[in-house]
Amino acid sequence: MSRAASTYAVPSYNATPDLSVKGVPPSLLSPEGSRLDGRLPHECRPAYMKTGAVNAAAGSAYAEFGQTKVIVSVYGPRESKKAQAFSDIGRLNCDVKFASFSTSVRGKASQGMEEKEYTGMLHKALECAVALHTFPKTTVDVFALILQSGGGDLAVVISCASMALADAGIVMYDLVPAVSLSCTGSEVLLDASMEEERWGDGGMIVAAMTSRNEITQLTMTGEWPSTKVSEALQLCLDACLKLAELMRSCLKEQVVAGGQ
Amino acid sequence: MEVEAFKRLYPLPFYERYLDSSVRPDGRPLGRARPTSVSLGAVSTADGSALVKIGNTTMLAGVKLEVMVPSQETPDQGSITVDFQMPPICSPLVRPGRPVEAASVISEQLSNVLTSSELVNLSELCIAPGKAAWMAYLDVYCLDADGSLLDTALLASVAALAHLQLPAVSVSEEGRVYPVSSSTSGDVSMEGAETSIKVKGNSISPRRRLKLGAAPFALTCMVHKKHLLADPCAEEETLLQCSITITMNQMGRLVSFYKPGGAVPATTAIVKECISLARRRAREVQQILKEALEDHIESPSLMQTD
Repeated sequence: MSRAASTYAVPSYNATPDLSVKGVPPSLLSPEGSRLDGRLPHECRPAYMKTGAVNAAAGSAYAEFGQTKVIVSVYGPRESKKAQAFSDIGRLNCDVKFASFSTSVRGKASQGMEEKEYTGMLHKALECAVALHTFPKTTVDVFALILQSGGGDLAVVISCASMALADAGIVMYDLVPAVSLSCTGSEVLLDASMEEERWGDGGMIVAAMTSRNEITQLTMTGEWPSTKVSEALQLCLDACLKLAELMRSCLKEQVVAGGQ
Repeated sequence: MEVEAFKRLYPLPFYERYLDSSVRPDGRPLGRARPTSVSLGAVSTADGSALVKIGNTTMLAGVKLEVMVPSQETPDQGSITVDFQMPPICSPLVRPGRPVEAASVISEQLSNVLTSSELVNLSELCIAPGKAAWMAYLDVYCLDADGSLLDTALLASVAALAHLQLPAVSVSEEGRVYPVSSSTSGDVSMEGAETSIKVKGNSISPRRRLKLGAAPFALTCMVHKKHLLADPCAEEETLLQCSITITMNQMGRLVSFYKPGGAVPATTAIVKECISLARRRAREVQQILKEALEDHIESPSLMQTD
């Protein structure tokens, strides 16, 4: 073992397995038809939501869907930035950030375009649900921090943000639950985890105002067999409906607990 | 005049009335800190993490490990990089895109305290001398800013480092580092296709916790006229005249003392009182941290990963 042989290999280790390494996809469904984490293909992850996570904010919410953990706080309505042109209706300003330790490789998401993409998508998903005319000339800020990225991050951020908006008392037409789905070969897996998203051929995110039966955002990526699309959309909408119930009961609980 | 209106119009007189009767608007006596909680392992993508609350102030600290080649000067030492972040979620004063001045000040202070307190012996982070060592990135995120940020950030950092486990790895002769499944230790690496050739020369370092030195704990105090208030909230920090931050390690030794000017000069009597408050607080916080660690080790979730 001589130091002269100075061809030290570049350290090739990450404490958590590096998900960017390509390899043979593992089978995402067991022969009995259950997924890696034991769920059925059309089953959502266990979800936990709570409003009032950040006291400094006008409204806030924390959401935990399986391994995905996000926190959203809402400030305003407050004065718009001076540089912005006059606007008769209110503005919605969004920002999504990843914590550096939220991903398997440190700082992976914040270096890429993901934060910017999510920021734009969050804005578009919420814009039509918020009654912007109720706070003219002012801005409502929606800030999200992804504490742990575990798949379906954007969908969780959208759902959590609409809870935070409700907590802040911003007038909305409806809550905006969002659900993601991954398509692998002939299977559609609802509310996919990180591992499932990684091996999936295609993905879908649906954000919907369920009591109005309106979709605020629908994105599809990757490869989709045309026969699966409508089935997937229906699955997402059903899941949105269930999520909306959960969000409503959670908001009600907080109000009751706060009133006592 | 109504109480709320009086408070808004004359915040300082409102406050001073409380101080004169030695109590604070939130009901605390002047020398008492807010309720403190520590929970470990909040983020599973991090190698060590802790969520700490002091009153409303909430911080999440996470440690990520990477392997590095140690420098020539210190071939048997790893390194720690400390960063403190205030994302816009934490306070109405923070807007996206603009870095906060306070955040970089606290980041620097945090880094200084952790280095000077010798909490982590950098040789502990060595994997194979001259070939590989751990590079620990400690990132502290402020989730809710309500005063005493340094105190909370420091406690979160210490807790995250106490929760940190260095994974089991095997090192080949060239200094390549491979993960080893901890369940059956050495045997598993033989099955791995990559490592099978080099197994004989490999040295295996087992999964272990970091051995920590005496942990530092900080207490911020506000001086206002002749009153001394421990652990101020954000409102108190903006309202009152001057702050003193004292860092004390668990042995009761002074690690750092920070009084950034301010309108009021501190007398030696005040300084002494601050130090005794900080000493008492250090004992209190140490107990909270100890309980959190014991709870965590007892809980079954950790047993599986051990």
